Amino acid sequence: MTEGPNAKPASPFNLKFNLRDAGTLFGLILIVVVFASLSPVFLTAPNLINILQQSSINAAIALGMTLVIISGGIDLSVGPTAALSAVIGASLMVAGVPVPLAIMASLGVGVMCGLFNGVLVAYAGLQPFIVTLGGLSLYRALALIYTGGNPIFGIPPEFRALTNGNVAGVPNSVIVVGIIALILWVVLNKTPLGEYILAVGGNEEAARIAGVPVARTKVATFVISGSLASVAALILVGRLGAAEPTIGNLWELDAIAAAAIGGASLMGGKGSIVGTLIGAIILGALRNGLTLMNVQAFYQLLATGIIIIVAMLIDRATRGR
Amino acid sequence: MSSDRMRITGATKTYPGIVALDDVTFAVAPGEVHGLLGENGAGKSTMLNILSGVRPGDTGTIAVDGTTIPIRTPLDARAAGIAMIHQELQLVPELTVAQNIFLGRPMTGFGGTLVRRREQERRARAVLADLDPTIDPSVKINTLKVAQQQIVEIARALIDEAKVIAMDEPTSSLTPAEFENLANLIAELSERGVSVIYVSHKMDEVFHVCQRATILRDGKLVAVVNIADETEDSVVAKMVGREVLHAAHVSHATTTPVLTVAGLGRADVVMDANLTLHAGEVLGISGLVGAGRTELLRLIAGIDRPTAGTVKVNGQTVRPHDPRAAIRAGIGLVPEERKREGIVHARSVASNMALPKMHNYTGAGLLRHGHLNKRAEQVMSDLRLRPLNVRQPIGTFSGGNQQKAIIGRWLAASTNIFLFDEPTRGIDVGAKSEIYTLIEKLASEGNAILVVSSEMPEIMRLSDRVLVMREGRIVADLASDQITEEAIATHAIPRKDHVSA
Repeated sequence: MTEGPNAKPASPFNLKFNLRDAGTLFGLILIVVVFASLSPVFLTAPNLINILQQSSINAAIALGMTLVIISGGIDLSVGPTAALSAVIGASLMVAGVPVPLAIMASLGVGVMCGLFNGVLVAYAGLQPFIVTLGGLSLYRALALIYTGGNPIFGIPPEFRALTNGNVAGVPNSVIVVGIIALILWVVLNKTPLGEYILAVGGNEEAARIAGVPVARTKVATFVISGSLASVAALILVGRLGAAEPTIGNLWELDAIAAAAIGGASLMGGKGSIVGTLIGAIILGALRNGLTLMNVQAFYQLLATGIIIIVAMLIDRATRGR
Repeated sequence: MSSDRMRITGATKTYPGIVALDDVTFAVAPGEVHGLLGENGAGKSTMLNILSGVRPGDTGTIAVDGTTIPIRTPLDARAAGIAMIHQELQLVPELTVAQNIFLGRPMTGFGGTLVRRREQERRARAVLADLDPTIDPSVKINTLKVAQQQIVEIARALIDEAKVIAMDEPTSSLTPAEFENLANLIAELSERGVSVIYVSHKMDEVFHVCQRATILRDGKLVAVVNIADETEDSVVAKMVGREVLHAAHVSHATTTPVLTVAGLGRADVVMDANLTLHAGEVLGISGLVGAGRTELLRLIAGIDRPTAGTVKVNGQTVRPHDPRAAIRAGIGLVPEERKREGIVHARSVASNMALPKMHNYTGAGLLRHGHLNKRAEQVMSDLRLRPLNVRQPIGTFSGGNQQKAIIGRWLAASTNIFLFDEPTRGIDVGAKSEIYTLIEKLASEGNAILVVSSEMPEIMRLSDRVLVMREGRIVADLASDQITEEAIATHAIPRKDHVSA
């Protein structure tokens, strides 16, 4: 029960208070409090911004993943999609193509990868897990073949300035991901597409009988996911100043973890943009905090696994009766 | 007291905000067939959940043959000799009959390491011999008809040496003939001393099979009655708490054709279907389960791909296999399996309503939730949705109210051809007459209506005209003065020598 029976009819921009999101936020606060008490550096402005910046790549991927998951699918191909976008965008820039055009091309690669996944799922009726597992190998192979396995150096400084710049101290990458989250929040909560995504994930057969354009809805989620993989790739290329065909390894798993911590159900029909955003920051904060405390990478992995499972157990315990 | 086979005393179960079951005592004698009756939400499911250990009660004790047994899990219930046969059968389609019967407690050899499949099949065959010798224990479940699957569940209960078998709406997907078969089986179980708890909305069945019945309303015990002393109306009155009126049929049919179906077919499921539906007309489609009625509606609604024929609305051909095209033409399907095909469980009534024509509720590409909710409240209050809270998830409403919401979906989409598939399946008696009134109102407003129903009284009450389907074909077209149960049955039942209708 989020609202009583006599709740006022929603005003169009009423930010619904979501109990599940509050739970995720509480988890984040808990992690922040713990690390703040363990490390004096953790709760400083530069470090907090650092966390957001480090989380931005995973957040971008996870936001797209969230829509796919809500519609009842999964996108395992995001990492290689990012790699292919990165190397194509970077090679165009290095070849002297104007930066805006190269960015468009890079995003276009993501759109095409998503379209390929989406069409196979929606029109050929293949299972999303298998289609994107195929995509995972396919796009990685294309990136490796295209580059011969070598990184692309010599990214123009104006592009690097674009991604590494900041507005009033807030890194551009964080701003971009913030804007994307806002747009996707509107898409999910305020547009027909959002209703369709929730309906298709909630009950595909009922949605089809009710006249929901099921196939187009699924394609849309994969296209969004693919293009956000490109966004993540561009952020990383700007940060590194190079594009490697091997980037994005295991990104899909981090993204799924962020979405799940944020309340997305892998059964479909349920998920939250705000939750995923916080989920990504939780994972980022955790890694940052453990690094500050000089915890070895092996133990960081251990902590990540524990956090995911604990989050799901809490989710299960508070949801089921 | 000790003569009871099973007795639950003072059963109470509360959920946040509701008392689902309030201090109910319920007892079944050995070999008795005992009806458990009540409207949806009366507490029948809660009672079954307690007895089967799925959701233990807050208070209350269960005694089997006079011995109090705590039942906290389904395994406890099984050990106590209480078996459940759910409305949706709990079988694994890809496993064999024998594997399903011994599911969860296989017969093993070699110190429990290997499953003795031969022995399982031998014992399954022995038990099935009494129930239905045509069922081969070595075939997969998905090759059996639903009625046979149900018998497999009964066999499972018997192998478990169940003393009490609870059947929840056991006939919801059975044909009349299959029901007869089940009724005989139940009588046989009863002779063996097995008690049967029979949960059903269908009064004729209850009166056919039960000796006594316990009636619940709003979680409370209303009465325990001897069926022989009651009439269907008196029992229904106890369930609803008031008299239920039977209205006479009034026709609103015009001669303006709206929907024309010509030569429509799909493989050997539906063959050469021809029909014309007029404005204001209620056209019933009768026939046995599996005669192709649901499939015909799905073809008309564009859900499945036809292999032959056309559907025309007002003379315009509707693009086949495209639900959106059918909806644009004004066709709305109210499907039989509400949970699977009708509702998006977690979404609000308003969201569910808006799905067919989402763009009616947008401004500048964004949904106007205020506008949508207002429209939904309008539509749903006309339909008397209870509770009238369109922002509440549709899954939290009763079956009858979910059905009203689905009807509301098509009203909001300005549909004028309504296809109802078993419109009152799983809906309690009170809401049932409301749905009938609604269908009649839709017809009186000039909408064209197709109703598929397996319930004779329903077909008789609603239809201006009745088509009978048999083995995929429409074999009879009965005008209002020809509609009798006998006439329908004569055409519906398959015969070896096909006398033309």
